[in-house]
Parts: sequence; structure tokens; C-alpha cells
Amino acid sequence: MRAFPVSRHIRHRGITPAPCNTPIDAPPKYRENHRVSWITVIWSAASGACLMLATLHFLAWCRDRRSWANLCFPIMVLGVIGLGIAELFMLWADSPEQFSEAGRWAHFCFGICVAGSLGFVHFYFGTGKYSLLLAALSLRLLAVIVNFTTGENLHFEVVHSLRQFNLFGEPVVIVDEWVENPWVRVGQLAALMQIVYFVDASLRLWRRHAPNDRRRALMVGGSLVVFILFASGHAGLAAAGMVHGPLLVSFPFFAMVLAINHELSRDLLRAARLAKDLKESETRLSLAASAAGIALWELDLRSDQIWIPEAGRCLYGVGPDEMTDLPGFFATIHPDDRSRVSDVIQRAVNDTQPYAVEYRIFLPDGGVRWLAATGRLERDEQGKAILVRGVTLDITPRKVAEKAAAEHHFELAHLSRISVLGELAGSLAHELNQPLAAMLSNAQVGLRIMKSETPDLREMEALLADVAADAKRAGGIVHGMRAMFKKDSLPQIQAVDLKCVVTDVLQVLHSTIFACHVTVEVEATTTMPPVAANRVEIQQVLINLLLNSLDALRGTEQGAGGPDLARIDITIGREGDLGVLTVRDNGPGIPPDMVDRLFEPFSTTKPDGLGLGLSISRKIVERFGGSLVSVCETGRAGAVFRLTLPVITDQSNSCQQGGDGSILSP
Amino acid sequence: MPPSNSLIYLVDDDASVRRSLSRLVRQAGYEEQSFDSAEAFLAACPEFFSQPACAVVDLHMPGLNGLDLQQQFNDRAFHCPVIFISGNGDIPSSVRAMRQGAVTFLTKPFHDEDILQAIAEGLASHRALLAAATRVNEAAHRIAMLSEREREVMARVINGSLNKQIAGELGIVEQTVKVHRSRVMEKTGVTSVAELVRLCDMAGFSTNKPG
Repeated sequence: MRAFPVSRHIRHRGITPAPCNTPIDAPPKYRENHRVSWITVIWSAASGACLMLATLHFLAWCRDRRSWANLCFPIMVLGVIGLGIAELFMLWADSPEQFSEAGRWAHFCFGICVAGSLGFVHFYFGTGKYSLLLAALSLRLLAVIVNFTTGENLHFEVVHSLRQFNLFGEPVVIVDEWVENPWVRVGQLAALMQIVYFVDASLRLWRRHAPNDRRRALMVGGSLVVFILFASGHAGLAAAGMVHGPLLVSFPFFAMVLAINHELSRDLLRAARLAKDLKESETRLSLAASAAGIALWELDLRSDQIWIPEAGRCLYGVGPDEMTDLPGFFATIHPDDRSRVSDVIQRAVNDTQPYAVEYRIFLPDGGVRWLAATGRLERDEQGKAILVRGVTLDITPRKVAEKAAAEHHFELAHLSRISVLGELAGSLAHELNQPLAAMLSNAQVGLRIMKSETPDLREMEALLADVAADAKRAGGIVHGMRAMFKKDSLPQIQAVDLKCVVTDVLQVLHSTIFACHVTVEVEATTTMPPVAANRVEIQQVLINLLLNSLDALRGTEQGAGGPDLARIDITIGREGDLGVLTVRDNGPGIPPDMVDRLFEPFSTTKPDGLGLGLSISRKIVERFGGSLVSVCETGRAGAVFRLTLPVITDQSNSCQQGGDGSILSP
Repeated sequence: MPPSNSLIYLVDDDASVRRSLSRLVRQAGYEEQSFDSAEAFLAACPEFFSQPACAVVDLHMPGLNGLDLQQQFNDRAFHCPVIFISGNGDIPSSVRAMRQGAVTFLTKPFHDEDILQAIAEGLASHRALLAAATRVNEAAHRIAMLSEREREVMARVINGSLNKQIAGELGIVEQTVKVHRSRVMEKTGVTSVAELVRLCDMAGFSTNKPG
């Protein structure tokens, strides 16, 4: 090992260095320089490999701009390559000035490398603390500034001389005499901060307990910590003169790049495999979807674009170019359903309600199809709704069946009303015969008066007024009956005053009630809002309940014996959002063997009953969101039926009488 | 024209039916009284009828119905005929009504001639009833005027005993029997034994238990 004879004077920054032409007693320089040393080969090969890896990940970043880790990695690699080149210059330096200058650029490249690695860990782990990251970055930036502003570089205040050093058979130069730059502590502090950041981020990742995370923490975090420790330690020791030899920081960093690349490549490979799996699973899914008659879809809320695979489009009856956005989708929906679907989407986005809606669409051939869509909202890290993903199912057959069932129910309810008509025939005949009898008598009296020689015109006038009033009354009865027993469209939901229903029904049944010697008491709360139901149908339910009670009372001791004993109590009240109507009689009650199947069709205790009344009544009430149950009251005989219907709170409580489809009135 | 002293009671809970009926019977020349329930009618109806009367009653009424009314009416010593009217006459009700002695059973709406006919029938039977009752009263009154001895003689006369037999039985002379007998005929106002027999029969005078 030979030392270079180097001039000893201290060199100052800003002063053009004098050419160092001190001859070295060595073979001619050009020959040595032109010898291809293994260091050159390895450094070039490693730099080339790193550059290739950097390019690879840079391209990956170009394709997916959000994967910032893929950008940080090439930055780090470029830093490492620059560091390697700077180190080569240091190894082959001809003068202390060249050596110092190369060292300055080495520190600069090291700064880039560190910034890249910090960024990489930040984006790749996603666990580091911002404060630590900022501290590490700032210290490193400070170190780079110090590197350019103090001494000859961060390490050396002054390099006095160089000497030759044999690096595994290769003659290279190393620093021989120097003055250490006191600012080097900034670099060491920055390195320490980096290590703290890496260790902290790695430990946090490690604690997440995911298998891949642990390996990542170990491979990436570990290698970064080890190599930075090594680099800083080696540089520090070399600068402190404890280790003799060249600064070989870049070489371990090549290894670090490989280690990190290994992890990144695994991710890339895994992504490729996932993409392949995804493709296959998509194929399988679309096969399953088309077999099940469902369509998959995605709605991108940022662009309002809709994605539906080819197989699902036939469900909507649209081609590949149609219905690609939200307006296009709304155009296919039945106008009556548009606002509902829009509401559901809004609620899903704003209130995190599940997206589930049934709607009709128009098919290109003019037909209508019922679809049921369910979906799930996806949000980004900031909680902003970005995507709705879901499936759509053709429910037309179900809707058709539901409609048919509703029609059957309606038919049945109508038939049941007709059968009630049979039961009420006597009462109704009586109701109708009263005014008819009065009219006939009056008319015949009128005829007699007219035949007399001195007709009493005043009497005739009173008589005709009576006839007119009775004719109106008979007309009202017939109108009410028609309203109840005629069959038209499906009954609409309207505001129904339970008190009016009770009054009307009691009027219809009053002769039947008298015939049974039953006292009926009605008790109603004064402030009773209307309920949402259909007047005729609720009248039907109440008639059913009362006829049942009357039948029960007819055959009993109370009914036959004392007229004061047999009674029916009707109460109307409100419980929260429900209007409650209770019918309570003091008959023999419901036989124990009937209690369980009271509401089943064709279960009856009457010899001539069909057993449909209660089952139909319950169906009617349930259609309006209410309930009809039989209540057991302990220590009390008789049957109690409790009918509930939802109240309408924000409407005026108006009692509409007659002429609006009620069964009847006076 | 029917006699104007007849009274028709109208019992129906339906005001317009009541009014039309009242108009009908008034037009036909009867007096009428209307009641809106069986209870009101029973409370107002007299124990004895001073004039021929007839009740037109609705079968279906709140409280006591028509058949109940008839039942309670029949329990009284004196009552008038009942005509039923009904909005929906069923067979069991009409059978029960007829068995309880109703004049007839009319289904609403009814023809004026039918109800006037029924009223006329009812009144006629009540009038006959009242007349018979008057005659019974008369006969009993006349018999009550007889002395003890005269009643004993009369009892034997209507049994067909001869004067001589009567004298023997009573231990009096035949001439005295003849005097009693002529006084009986004079007081009761009959001219023959046959008439006397009928009178006694009407008054419920028992021959077996003279005196």
C-alpha cells in the first residue's frame, strides 16, 4: 500500500483548486484507468439493474398514479445510483479537491435516496407518524444544505491528502489526512431520525398481525434500518478515522434496493395473479348471474357512469351503448317510479340507508318489467360516497303473482261482503221497507183525499213532503248498499274516521241488534284522528265482528233471558301511532279448541258459516298495516277482538257521512 | 162509513211509518193514538174499553217487541185485537203472532185496503166482544135483583121442574110458586122459559148451586 504524496495546505471553498499534478510513482495512470476493474463492472451492473427496476416501478406508477410507493422507489433508486457514481468518482479521485467534490454529490444523492425511502415507507406501510416523517425529512434537508454550505462536504471540513488503498486487489484512493466537519452531526442526527421513523413505522405494521404485513415490516423496514445503520455507521467510523478504507455506502444500498424490489415485485406479481383470478371470478359470476336472471351493476357517483356487464343488459332490454349513465338509467324507468328510485339513491348516499328499491322499467318493445335492485355503497378514505355496487333481479313474475293474489283477496272480500248481505238481508229489508211502507200509505191517503169533494190541500202538502223525505231515505239506503256490495277497482286507502264507521255500521245492524235483545255501548276518545284504511272494508270488518258477537249472544242465557244482560261494548282509542277499536261481548266466549285457528279460513263454529269472515277481516286490516287479534281477558267471560290501524296525524278530522261509499245512512 | 167512536192505537218506533199510518186511519174516519214503543202503549192503554178499539203494532221495536207486547196484553182481563205489521215478516214470528190471537199479520209495505180491512175486522170483533160483555152484565144485573126465594124457584124452573114439584121441594104451596115464577119473569124481562134459560146461561148462573 502506497500513500499519495499530497500537498498539505488547507484548501478553502470558493478558491479554484490548483491542479494536482503531483506525480505518483505508479504505472502510467491511463493504463491503470483503462484497465476494466471489477469495481467498475459491479458498480455498473448494479446501477444498471437498479435503473431497470426503477424504470419498471416508474412505469407501474405511470399506469396507476395513485400508487405513490411505486414513484418513491425509483426516486430512491436514482439516489442510490447517483450515490454509486459519486462513490466511483471518489474511489478514482485524482486530487483531494475531486474527492471532496464527489463526496459532496454523494451526500446530495444520499439525501435523495433517503427522501425516496422515507416516502416509500410512508406510502407503502401507511403506518408511519407524520411528525417523525417531517422531522426526518427536515433534518436530511438540513444536512444536504449543510453539505453544500460548510466545509468541503458534510464529512470533511478539509481533505489534506489522499492515499492509495487496495480494495480486494483493486487500487483505489481513500482519504489520508483531513479535518472533520463539525456539522456532520446534523447528518448523523438525520440518520438517527430516519431510523426512528423506520422502526416506528415497521413496528406499527408488525402489530397489525397480518401475515404479509409482518414480512413487509421485516424485509423493507429491517433492510432500511440495517443498511442505513451500516451506511451511517461506516461513514461515521471512516470519517472518525476508526476504520480505514473507502466509503462504500452505495453497495449495501444496492442490496437494500433488491430487498425492497423483492417485496414490490411480489405485490406486482400478486396483483397480476389477482387480476387473473378476478377475471375468472368475473366470468364465473356473470355466468351465475345470467343463469339466475340477475344483472350486476356499478354506479360511479363521481361521474354518474353506470357499468353493467353484457349479460345483465338484456334484463334492462338495452344494448351495450345505451344506459351508460344515470340520466340514461332514469329514462328507462317508469315515470311513476322515478322519484322513488331517486329518493332511495339519495338516502343511500346521505343517510347510509341500504340501497333497496323495486321499480318498473319500459322495455324497447313497450312492455313493462318489474325489477328489484339491492346495492351497497362504497366510500373512500375520507368517507365520501364514490360507488354503488349491486344486483338487479327480475321480479315481474312475483309482482304478477302478488297482483293476482291481491285480486283474489279482493274477490274473496267481495264474496264475503255478499255473504254478509245474505245475513243482513232481513235487516236491510226492514230498513228499506220502513220508508216504503210510509210512502205507500201516504200515497194511498193522498189518492183518497183527492177523490173527496173538498180535498184538504194543506194535508196533501204535508203528505207529499213526507213522501219525498221517505223516498230520499230509501234512496240513501240503496246507495249505501250498492257502495258496499258493488265490485269495482281495488279499494284505495283513505282517511277513515272510526267513530263514523261505528255509527254507520250500528245503523245497518240496528234491527238485527234489537232482534237479539243486545245493548250496544260505544265509548270513544274525543280527539281521535282518522286512520289510513278503506271505509267500506273497515265497515265490513266491523260488521263481521259484530255479527259474530250477536251470533254468540243469540244462543245464550243472557240473550234469551234478560235484555239488559246481553251487551256489546265498542271502544275507540289511540295508542301512539295506532287507532285501536275493541269489540267486547259478554257471550260464552271463544271455545278453547277454536282459539288457535280462529283466523284460519274455513274454521267456524256456526252450522251455516263458511268460516271466512275473520280470516278475510284480518287480511283486510293487514293490508292497511294494521292488525286484528283476539284478546284473552282473565276473569271475564266473552270474546274480545282488538283491531288496530295506523293513524293519520296531519290531517283534519272530518267525518264524512253518506254518499261517499259508506254502507249507509239515515 | 165506520162509526166514528172507534179508536185505533198505532205502535211503531219509526216516526214516518207512524205518521203515515195515523194519516191513513184518520182519513178513514177513526180516532187514533200513536206510541213510539210498546212500553208507552201498555202504560197508556186503559183497563176497560169504553169504545171499540184495535192496535196496529210493529213487530220489530227496540225494548219490548210486538210479540212481547201481545203476550203481556193477553195476560190482562180486557184487551183489544192486535194487527201486526213488519218490515221483514218471517214465518216463525207470524205463526206465533197468529197463535197468540192476532187479527192478521201484514208485511210492509202494505196496501191501504188490506190494513183498513184488518182494522175493520178487528173493530168488529172487539165491538161484538164489548156488546156481549154488555149483555152479560145486563143479565147478571137482572138476576141480582131477584130475591133469594125467587132465585131458588128460577133455578128449578130452568131445570124443567113442574110447579107442583117445586112446591114440594121447597115446602110451599103451588100457588106461591106461581106467584114467584111470574115475578121472576117480570123482573128479568123474559117472556118464556127458553129465554130465561138463555139469560141464566149468559150470566153464568149455575143451576146446581142455587142461591
